[in-house]
Amino acid sequence: METAKISGKQLFVLVVLFEMGTALLEGFPVQLKQDAWIAILAGMAGGVLLFLVYYRLFLYYPDLPLTGYVEKIIGKWPGRVIGFIYIIYFAYLAARGLRDFGELLTATIYTNTPIFFLMSILILTITYAIQKGFEVLARVGEIFFAAVYMMAVIGFFLIIFSGLIHLENLKPVLESGWRQIMEVSIRQTMPFPFGEMILFTMILPHLNDQKKAKMICISGIVLSGINITIACIINIATLGTDLFLRSQYPLLSTVSKIQLFNFIERLDVLFMIYVMVAGFIKVAIFYYAAVAGTTGLFKFKNHRQVTFPMGILILVTAMMIASNFAEHIKEGLYIIPVYMHWPLQIYFPCLLLGIAMIRNRKKQKKAPAA
Amino acid sequence: MKKLVLVFILIIFSIPILGGCWNQRELTDLALVLAVGIDKGEGDKKYDVTFQVVVPGNVASGQNGGGGQGPPVVVYESSGDSITEASRKATKKIPRRLYYAHTSIVVIGEELAREGIYNILDPMDRDPEFRTTTVVIIAKDKRAEDIISILTNLDKLPMNRFIKTLESAEAMLGENIKLNIDDLIGAITSPGKEPVISGFVLEGSPEKGTSPQNISTTRPPAMVSVDGLGVIRGGKLVGWLNNFHVRGAVWLLNKMKGTEIKFDFEGKKDAVTTTPYLSDTDVSVTFKNGKPFANVDIDTAFKLSEMDTDFDIEDPHKIEELEKKTSDVIKKEVEAAIKEAQKYKADIFGFGERIHKSNPKRWKELKDDWDNQFAKMDYKIQVHSYYRESGVRGKPFWSDMNK
Repeated sequence: METAKISGKQLFVLVVLFEMGTALLEGFPVQLKQDAWIAILAGMAGGVLLFLVYYRLFLYYPDLPLTGYVEKIIGKWPGRVIGFIYIIYFAYLAARGLRDFGELLTATIYTNTPIFFLMSILILTITYAIQKGFEVLARVGEIFFAAVYMMAVIGFFLIIFSGLIHLENLKPVLESGWRQIMEVSIRQTMPFPFGEMILFTMILPHLNDQKKAKMICISGIVLSGINITIACIINIATLGTDLFLRSQYPLLSTVSKIQLFNFIERLDVLFMIYVMVAGFIKVAIFYYAAVAGTTGLFKFKNHRQVTFPMGILILVTAMMIASNFAEHIKEGLYIIPVYMHWPLQIYFPCLLLGIAMIRNRKKQKKAPAA
Repeated sequence: MKKLVLVFILIIFSIPILGGCWNQRELTDLALVLAVGIDKGEGDKKYDVTFQVVVPGNVASGQNGGGGQGPPVVVYESSGDSITEASRKATKKIPRRLYYAHTSIVVIGEELAREGIYNILDPMDRDPEFRTTTVVIIAKDKRAEDIISILTNLDKLPMNRFIKTLESAEAMLGENIKLNIDDLIGAITSPGKEPVISGFVLEGSPEKGTSPQNISTTRPPAMVSVDGLGVIRGGKLVGWLNNFHVRGAVWLLNKMKGTEIKFDFEGKKDAVTTTPYLSDTDVSVTFKNGKPFANVDIDTAFKLSEMDTDFDIEDPHKIEELEKKTSDVIKKEVEAAIKEAQKYKADIFGFGERIHKSNPKRWKELKDDWDNQFAKMDYKIQVHSYYRESGVRGKPFWSDMNK
């Protein structure tokens, strides 16, 4: 375990960037058409509840990452197995993020460049950042945060002044019915991106002022959730439900519609810069969690020993997880939530919390007697 | 020292990557396609596609006289059973790679439009190079290739000329609508709305229009102009709205930016012409006796632009009459437009979409039979027009001469 320390501000920035990440690019539940934004808000509420579970676990063991305290809660060997599963989970999600990034670039601007090449450039950069340590990653996050917010504000005003927003596209509200919206938010928007906060159980021990952890993380989740909701509403209002449904990257379609004074137009580049930032942060944080977990579990002296092999592993996995984009998306929508997100984001942490509570109660009872 | 060498090697290695030359395309290797024309195939292939490609050397202009000899654009023709096939086959004749990012207009031949336009829209919607802000028009009574091949004056590039004509006519006359691929597909896919596409006609001889003669005389032998709105139903062109029908439709779609309205006044025919310049249309669909019923509410401000009869323009009663007559003409045009659309059973005004938004439950019942429901639909039109000014003069100059 690295001894890096990050400030509350840095943690906040990382939470927001991480949560928005690729969700802004392709995390919209488009099948709900004009009601998609409601599902995002519902997913966010679920995400906050889940985070409270993770936070209680963190309170019991404030110095240990998830892979560390699992051993304490359910015993050495079972704990190691679960810890190992989490490491694989993080590495796999890093690979998925990398693949998302590659697929997006090959589909839009680098149409003839091999996806492997694009992904290896990104993973090389991230490997370098992680070699330098987590504090470096946090500082990079701060710079990116400022850049992303500036672009978002500029883009937002340009869209409004281009007269593209047609709020009537949001009607009729709740056409899909609450039942379907809830189903979609549990299956889709709660695990991705909000449930991915499970990852921050690996990072919270690095926080220098641990009392603030709860406020920082929850406000980070809420801010990113509101941002995604706004983006979703703008997309629907600009594109209309039909185009929103058919777009692989709705935000790209929205941004490329900006046309002002016959002069400010074709601003796809704003979107592309965001893709780079989002791809970098999302993959880097997952990647770091996998590296930190491995270092702790297999008792390596230094996380630098693991970084490079893990990078190669993620790159190769990203190449192999799906043979084409359709398969990649299908997996992400139907298989991953049920077999990976739900067990690892909801069932396990709840179970762990239950056991931890019982154990700690025993301890507390014993304490006065002794 | 060792570190320095390493850094140096790293820099050397990053040169090919950072140059961004993976699939570089030099400007001189690209053929910028300005306009694409799509027609029904005359041979054994399904489509004949024409590409208007810019000839860079002949467009450049500047103080040094600029611009070479010869036309600013060249038109290539190709055919295929799919648009992609035609586009790829065209490279047999074109020495450069066709590049679509600057395509601003797609012309569809009337014959093809009548057979259906679904199939030809997909490649343009899908290709990231093709901008979806590209405008779609229909070549009325002609083939798209005729329109595409015409040379024009005032604007060197014919494609610019088409777009600007569309824009100026939309702003001044209100008898057409500039529609891009995105809006077109949006209207086609919405069950409660059908699209309308502006038509272009060719006056004069298509053969002469392609020669430099067409831009070297003050009265070009061939001219392209905006005319009519094509009504699309189920992806097929079913008919045309002309003249005042178009204007009614433009009012209803809330796209009116300016037009002229003339009417009889004090017993004299076409005595007054007014020009509305601000307008807002509010359409709502309610249910009356269980049947859909459209309420159309139009507010517009107009100026007096021409008078051929003498009356006191400062008299409030006369002004009231002016306002009423202007409203009546607009109302008649809108009514005619609705009737015409009902004849084609094509809901080009999006009444169905409005029901969908305000009353999703009723819409579910009506959806399947909407075309027929629309054709039978009842409506009420209310127009309020407001007189603003009469230019810089009050009475006409001849008002005292006649006495």
